[in-house]
Amino acid sequence: MTIHQNAPDPTTVSRRTLIGQGAAAFAGLAIGFGPEMAAAKKGSGGGSGSGSGSGSGSGGTTTPTGTPTTANVGGLVGTYVGNWLLIGADNTVTILCGSQEMGQGIMTGLAQVVAEELMVDWNQVKVEHAPAGNFTYADPAMRGVTGGSMSMRGYYQGLRVAGAKAREMLKMVAVARFGGSLGNAVAASGTVSVNGQTATYGALAAAAAQQTPPSSPALIGNGRLIGRSVARTDIPAKVDGSAVFGIDVRLPGMVYAAVKHSPVHGGTLSPTYSPATPSGTLKAVNIGTAVAVVATNTWAAKNAVARLTPSWILPVGATDIDSAKIDATAQTLMASGTPLNAELLGDAEGSWAGSPKRLEMTYAAPFMAHATLEPMACTVLYTPGQSCEVWASTQAPPSVVGVVTKLTGLPATAVVVHPMFMGGGMGRKFETDFVTEAVKIAMAVPGKPVKLTWTREEDMTHDFYRPMALSRVRIGLDANGQPTSWSNRIVTPSILLRFGVPGTMVDSQAVDGAIGLPYAFPSKRVDYVRHTTTAPVGFWRSVGHSYNTFVVESAIDEAALAAGVDPLLFRQRLLAASPRHLAVLNAAAALAGWGTPPPAGRARGIAMTIGFGSIVAQVAEISAPTTGALTVHRISCAIDCGIAVNPDQVTAQMEGGIIQALGAAMWSRITFAAGRTVQRNYNNYRMLKMRETPQIAVTIVQQGSPIGGVGEPGVPCVAPAVANAYAKLTGTRFRSLPFFPNAGTMGEDEGEDD
Amino acid sequence: MYNLTINGKSYSVDVPASMPLLWVLRDVVGLTGTKYGCGIEVCGACTVLVNGEPERSCDMEVKEAVGKQITTVEGLSPNRSHTLQLAWIAKQVPQCGYCQSGMLMKAAALLRQTPKPTDAQIDAAMSNVCACGTYPRIKAAIKAAAGIAA
Ligand code: FES
Ligand code: FES
Repeated sequence: MTIHQNAPDPTTVSRRTLIGQGAAAFAGLAIGFGPEMAAAKKGSGGGSGSGSGSGSGSGGTTTPTGTPTTANVGGLVGTYVGNWLLIGADNTVTILCGSQEMGQGIMTGLAQVVAEELMVDWNQVKVEHAPAGNFTYADPAMRGVTGGSMSMRGYYQGLRVAGAKAREMLKMVAVARFGGSLGNAVAASGTVSVNGQTATYGALAAAAAQQTPPSSPALIGNGRLIGRSVARTDIPAKVDGSAVFGIDVRLPGMVYAAVKHSPVHGGTLSPTYSPATPSGTLKAVNIGTAVAVVATNTWAAKNAVARLTPSWILPVGATDIDSAKIDATAQTLMASGTPLNAELLGDAEGSWAGSPKRLEMTYAAPFMAHATLEPMACTVLYTPGQSCEVWASTQAPPSVVGVVTKLTGLPATAVVVHPMFMGGGMGRKFETDFVTEAVKIAMAVPGKPVKLTWTREEDMTHDFYRPMALSRVRIGLDANGQPTSWSNRIVTPSILLRFGVPGTMVDSQAVDGAIGLPYAFPSKRVDYVRHTTTAPVGFWRSVGHSYNTFVVESAIDEAALAAGVDPLLFRQRLLAASPRHLAVLNAAAALAGWGTPPPAGRARGIAMTIGFGSIVAQVAEISAPTTGALTVHRISCAIDCGIAVNPDQVTAQMEGGIIQALGAAMWSRITFAAGRTVQRNYNNYRMLKMRETPQIAVTIVQQGSPIGGVGEPGVPCVAPAVANAYAKLTGTRFRSLPFFPNAGTMGEDEGEDD
Repeated sequence: MYNLTINGKSYSVDVPASMPLLWVLRDVVGLTGTKYGCGIEVCGACTVLVNGEPERSCDMEVKEAVGKQITTVEGLSPNRSHTLQLAWIAKQVPQCGYCQSGMLMKAAALLRQTPKPTDAQIDAAMSNVCACGTYPRIKAAIKAAAGIAA
């Protein structure tokens, strides 16, 4: 169903998008959401695109406002009816997806929403990524960047309306042709029937594109596609090698690049460093943050660059990026750092001091790598003074356009970004560091397409890591074991500092999952102390929740055990006034059989999280076959994400989030020594494998909640649910992630020590 | 110059003897279905079949591949009709999809040797890494392809 071709022949490249974008649109002056485009021109659609070196990248004719009206998208030629859909004469409908596909199934999910109102059958639908950097295709919330589990939340309503507008425009044409009235015209399965006659959308499309869209068309969707587990459109291409990921791009005359960064974080090269071309390669380039070698294949490039030994100019304090120092600083900041208050209710510290039972626990979480299976990769063709074309696995196509205009001085109209399938994003491909490097290399080999591929070692040692965190929770309990106070003091570096949020403000990412808890504590205080380390930090799937939920849900469990109350009952009491949360918690408990004793030698632990607009609760059932070992047998997961557009994909996101999070909880961590990242490849960055994967059961709770995200919320509960089960079973409490830092190696097959 | 047989076709490649088969496939021959994940024989993204046996192509020098039948994911079937490919689609296995070529090749080798594998045999054979966490569906798809009730 998808149209990404295999590219064994170097003269072909699968084109994700062949549409240029207008400068006005990119400048953000025209943030359209819905089919506001009316004028249409018949056009060829531009044919095979600019991979041959024309560099224009524009495959469609363009209206004066920069909106394409006809286009060749991934080889399909058709007519736009509204911005979001392209209808072919053969009655196929290509729906443009403004979010980037990284495995979350978003191309399918967003297309389901459009197709529901458009009244087309699923087998008529094809999906392509929308043109990058054109805000016509951007949801108002994320403006074309994919992340924050925002896609469905950001697009849902707008895309339903867009589908409905296009449907009405097609009906208008049918009525004009056949007579009858709009009220009597029926759209179904890609046809309009009126006045006894029927026409396909394909036959109506060209004229429909010239209709003025109705301002508020009726939404008639009744769950024909929304809420159905339709098959994902991108999956067939992912079982035969034909899906083209960023790392797979091949262009005529392409050369290959590899980079070596400073082993110590933050190191740069002197502008006067001018490396000689290593033998067997085409060129060595000083790109400031790294030295690059260009060769006729990736292997030659990476071997040659590995042999270069430039001297690096290190920033002051570079070697202070050192785990022992960072941990010591965290302890100092915990004891005496100046906090910023993130949440306050009553006098939590006073209540704690006056409580008959006072708990105080400290939890720690490590830095972590994203470790997407596809390392950073980006291909660039730079034609000086004319154009720059970029093919990248990116969560942030609009940022890529910005990088290119800044580096090349070209206007945005001369920049074409092709967002490729991502081999995992996980928050890493939101960054544009690798794109910057690829553009700089391309500028050194003008007129030649160059593909930069980072080695796994560069990828793991130059990540923007999930920040470490040190958290101290104080809970006061009254004589009946009821909480009187909740305090949480979080020491962690700021991700948003890099994006201009001053260090004098609470970093919202740092406290996500720690504030706004649904539990009814009589008093609350959540403080944030910014850790000053310069270790590079970034967004890792579920961001602050990835450690804050571990802290919160572990601490609540500890309070329940201290109070002698069943952990589920303890939470239920605190959620008495939060029926939605209670329903999800209870659903997970029921799925796990919480009320029945687990098999001998096993115990269960429970946790819940709210975030990304969704509520998730999970129960882990574990055993501890030998001291210091742990087997997770089953994870039962309940999610309320409001509207589950594609329930099977909601389930898939829960499965994937749980599996990633379990590996992280057990083994994954990044440490630093004298400015360098210690872990360099998967052999010492252990992730879950099939044989360690528990049974996973997922239930979707439907209770009329607003639509929520699903990409991230599966992650946070795993660590605390497992830790809580382990404490129940063994009496030993994990307060530090990962649980087994010394079993963090991974081999080819068997042999890892658990 | 090395003569290789890949998916039943002959290729002559002019590369150094020590160049890993992975990079020959991806950058020289242009079969990009075989993926680079680690380059150190840990992740399995680069798995291909060599005379029917699963091999991690990132650590197989091209000279070792001469005279052998190499099968990549592109050669699993001409039209996505391999029972495993059908099962992979039916069970909606891939997420990002990056590991799936290696997974499919590993699974193909498993079923060739062990047409009705037990769960433990599947776990032992399928040692590749999937960062997206598609393992439950991979297992279900292998069982479906093998005609084993879930
Ligand atoms: S790339 Fe060969 S095993 Fe990872
Ligand atoms: S599907 Fe993404 S790594 Fe396996």
